[in-house]
Amino acid sequence: MVKVKVVERPPADLVVQSWLPELWKGMKVSGRHFFVNLLTQKGIVTSQYPEVKRAYPPRFRGKHRLMRREDGSVRCVACFMCSTACPADCISIVAGQRDDENEKFPVTFEVDFIKCVFCGMCEEACPCDAIRLDSGVHRAPAYTRKEELNGKEDLLSLGSLSVARQGGEFK
Amino acid sequence: MTLTFVLLTLAKILGFILVFCVILAAILTWVERKMSSIIQDRIGPNRAEILGFRAFGLFHPIADMIKSFTKEEFVPAGASKTLFFLAPAFALVPTLCAFAVVPFGPGDLVISNLDSGMLFVFAIMGFGIYGVTLGGWASASNFAMLGALRGAAQMVSYEVSMGLNVVGIFAVFGSVSLTAIVGAQGHLLWGWLPMWGIVVQPLGFVLFLVAAMAENKRAPFDLPEGESEIIGYFVEYSAMGFATFMLSEFLEVIVIACIAATLFFGGWQIPWLDPTGTAGGWITVAQVAFFAFKVLFLCWFQMLIRWTVPRFRYDQVMSLGWKVLLPLSLANILATAVVLALVV
Amino acid sequence: MPTLTIDGREITVEPGTRIIEAADRLGIDIPRFCYHPGLPVAGNCRMCLVDTNRSPKPVASCWDPCQDGHVVVTNSPRVLEARRAVLEYILLNHPVDCPICDQAGECDLQDLYFAHDHQPSRHPFHKHHKDKARVLGPQIIYDAERCINCTRCIRVCEEVAKAPQLVQVQRGERAYIDVFPGTQLDHPYSMCTADVCPVGALTTRDFRFKCRAWLTHGIQTVCGECSRGCGIRADVYRNAVQRLVPRHNPDVNQYWACDAGRLAYHRFETGRVSAVRIGGAAADYAKGVRDVAEALPGADARGVVVVLTPWMTCEDVGAVVAAVRSAAPGATFAVGGAAPGIQDDILVRADKNPNRNGVAKVLADLGVTPVALDAVLSQAPSLGALIVCGAEQAKAEALAGALAAVPLSIVLAALEGPLTAAARFVFPTTSPYEADGTWVNESGVTQRVRRAVEPVGDAKGFEVWASDLADRLGTPLAARDRAIGGNP
Ligand code: SF4
Ligand code: SF4
Ligand code: SF4
Ligand code: SF4
Ligand code: FES
Repeated sequence: MVKVKVVERPPADLVVQSWLPELWKGMKVSGRHFFVNLLTQKGIVTSQYPEVKRAYPPRFRGKHRLMRREDGSVRCVACFMCSTACPADCISIVAGQRDDENEKFPVTFEVDFIKCVFCGMCEEACPCDAIRLDSGVHRAPAYTRKEELNGKEDLLSLGSLSVARQGGEFK
Repeated sequence: MTLTFVLLTLAKILGFILVFCVILAAILTWVERKMSSIIQDRIGPNRAEILGFRAFGLFHPIADMIKSFTKEEFVPAGASKTLFFLAPAFALVPTLCAFAVVPFGPGDLVISNLDSGMLFVFAIMGFGIYGVTLGGWASASNFAMLGALRGAAQMVSYEVSMGLNVVGIFAVFGSVSLTAIVGAQGHLLWGWLPMWGIVVQPLGFVLFLVAAMAENKRAPFDLPEGESEIIGYFVEYSAMGFATFMLSEFLEVIVIACIAATLFFGGWQIPWLDPTGTAGGWITVAQVAFFAFKVLFLCWFQMLIRWTVPRFRYDQVMSLGWKVLLPLSLANILATAVVLALVV
Repeated sequence: MPTLTIDGREITVEPGTRIIEAADRLGIDIPRFCYHPGLPVAGNCRMCLVDTNRSPKPVASCWDPCQDGHVVVTNSPRVLEARRAVLEYILLNHPVDCPICDQAGECDLQDLYFAHDHQPSRHPFHKHHKDKARVLGPQIIYDAERCINCTRCIRVCEEVAKAPQLVQVQRGERAYIDVFPGTQLDHPYSMCTADVCPVGALTTRDFRFKCRAWLTHGIQTVCGECSRGCGIRADVYRNAVQRLVPRHNPDVNQYWACDAGRLAYHRFETGRVSAVRIGGAAADYAKGVRDVAEALPGADARGVVVVLTPWMTCEDVGAVVAAVRSAAPGATFAVGGAAPGIQDDILVRADKNPNRNGVAKVLADLGVTPVALDAVLSQAPSLGALIVCGAEQAKAEALAGALAAVPLSIVLAALEGPLTAAARFVFPTTSPYEADGTWVNESGVTQRVRRAVEPVGDAKGFEVWASDLADRLGTPLAARDRAIGGNP
């Protein structure tokens, strides 16, 4: 048997129906907040973003950054794993060949921040530790759609060195 | 009609309506936002700045104005263009006219000392409904139309009880002229109690305030415009059209405050001081200032209500108007009549 | 006729049939690398091992012919273990750079690894390194590390293209594929080597690094570059053709297609007509059709000639003939088309138009006797109207002159050229990859052409244009006349 707990409604007598006592109580509350905050600002819970920022949680996902190798070149090998994994289909890559070897590299690498949902799937899919969302930089609003298309240079400028090895170091 | 009279009237119009009321309305937009924010424990608007000065966000009305002037004036396809642009004016002009009969100081400090006083206010405010219905109809949008219908029904309903509420005042003070009513409130009851409207008509005041706020279509009676939904008679308006509707709404807040101050709080009267208003000099200045203070207080009070009470449901609004306010107003008139008959 | 049993199922086959073919017919999947149904058997990869009752150890099913009373088991534990071991051996020095390998997603080695091996490498030493990105020819790039030495590519060159340009050099784990010194892999079917390569060792320059295989979706259509009409699959990503690959059609092209046909889609990437033009100025499509419908009936008195192209689908021809006739009952029709070109003994035909047969058939059905194109050109100045369909016209210059001379000149074309420059009315039409309808090839095989990508701009099929014109004329085409084509 499911136990049913009946919640008694307060009697709707004339005093309640007149609204006035409750209205008075409500006005007292809003009035108290008004005067307290007007005079002392004690109750204010918001902060002056962007001058005052709260600390982000360590796993905050911000704008993407493209990582670099020891020689400063981009780690990305244009494998399209990220754009395949991306649920928003917002990564567009044009691949080219590196001068030295048979490896691919991204000639262009564009993330469309209008579409991106910052899910981190791309980061997870990348076999090269080439793309990360740990820049801590917010996606800023923009006036045109074009500004939201962040290219390889933008993403690289947030990037830094990564020495990760696929499958760990060779013995 | 002498030239001095014309010049004086123009000066009063300029000083009272254009400087005091319109600027106050603009500042009220800031007050409203600032007030809501600190009531809700937020900081509120404070970003608009001029040369590095932010002045607690006081420049936001200016920024709003610039924005309204520069935004695209959007006209929906199929809208009746003439009426669409006329509707905001229909909302604004009657509100501005209503100030004409409000005595903001003793003696000649009223733009037009009409004998019909309060009746003029009712008559002219009744025009406001055209702004609402035309705005909704001319937008060629079902949502605007529904908002307009709601607005029209609500305004018509509450106009009735608003009119009946002040009948008590008329009876007590024996006049409908606002100047006369203010003058009468200079009397003292039992030799010490100022005979303000609120003292002799406490129920009348409460009912009047409720009805007036409903008439103004602001929260908790903001169903016709529904800021948080898409029903509303000015949903299709942008830029200046929208700003005009907004401005007339804030002006109405001031009108209500002025009328309430005049009818129930003794207008420019300072208790126990120069009830006839003939002293002149600094006392007149103080009386005008005291009137302004009353108006400001009542504006603040309306906003406090607006940020305290949640919105009604539409059927609740209607039944409150017809089933509660109307009978109570009638009872108030009856009681006033009985008391007057016994006392006088 | 030997009768044998494979995994408990009996089948009777012609003498000489290999076990793997018999299994294929039964729908039993035997993994393979070097066996290809269109090529001679090499039997060198050992991936296709099966157990039989005629041999003490597993045999290569691609090599062993079926015998009467043969009992074949394709999934015994011993076979599975043999496959796993073969795979492990093939993968010993494999770079497994799948993320940057163009074959990934359609790689037999990848698929079979996950199906049969699926264990980390046990090879504790450095892998053997070989050449990567070695250019074998104008179309083909070779990655020796990924090569599993199945020799399919060598056999394609020898048996299909009749151009033995590839060879295997070295032995054992050092073996790789190469061209002879000083030569290139440059025969007209060189891209077929990349198709048959079961791994990512051979890649085409055209598709290399361009897009990942799994991102594309394939549309089965037909190549239009010659009257052979090879079956092709257009792989499309983000509304653009990424590559064309041959599609098996035993009546037409077997498994193959020529390089020229597979690169033909680049022709339609630039220089497209995308908007209607009237007198050189861009115009609304509806207005263009309206103006033509108003002007065409009046031109009938001096004569209306339509130059068709064998690039149109059969439906296009039917619709255009019907629509023009309802405006100008006296209209005559001629068939133009692209100029003839080279021909070989393998696939390529001299007639560079895909549907000459179909156009002739439809015209015959409609009772139209086409007039000679030269006759049209000579009487051009006296004509009332000249309508030229298609940009692929051998006599484009002459036609452009004729268009300039007639009062009402209309061109429907996908590509800009002398014709579109000369005509008063220009309507954009679909490329072969945007078209929908049927073509009939030189040997009479009727094939469906399917829309792979959405048309650019205002481009419409001839049939849609004709149908809109007929609507405008007040004589809508009968449902029969708008059979396929149109807006799908
Ligand atoms: S974070 Fe998610 S949505 Fe954004 S690019 Fe990466 S995969 Fe796509
Ligand atoms: S960022 Fe990583 S997953 Fe994306 S293409 Fe580059 S290497 Fe591949
Ligand atoms: S050939 Fe196949 S297994 Fe080898 S790297 Fe390419 S996709 Fe991976
Ligand atoms: S290149 Fe490809 S087809 Fe040629 S032998 Fe190597 S794996 Fe086989
Ligand atoms: S497929 Fe049989 S040995 Fe390669």
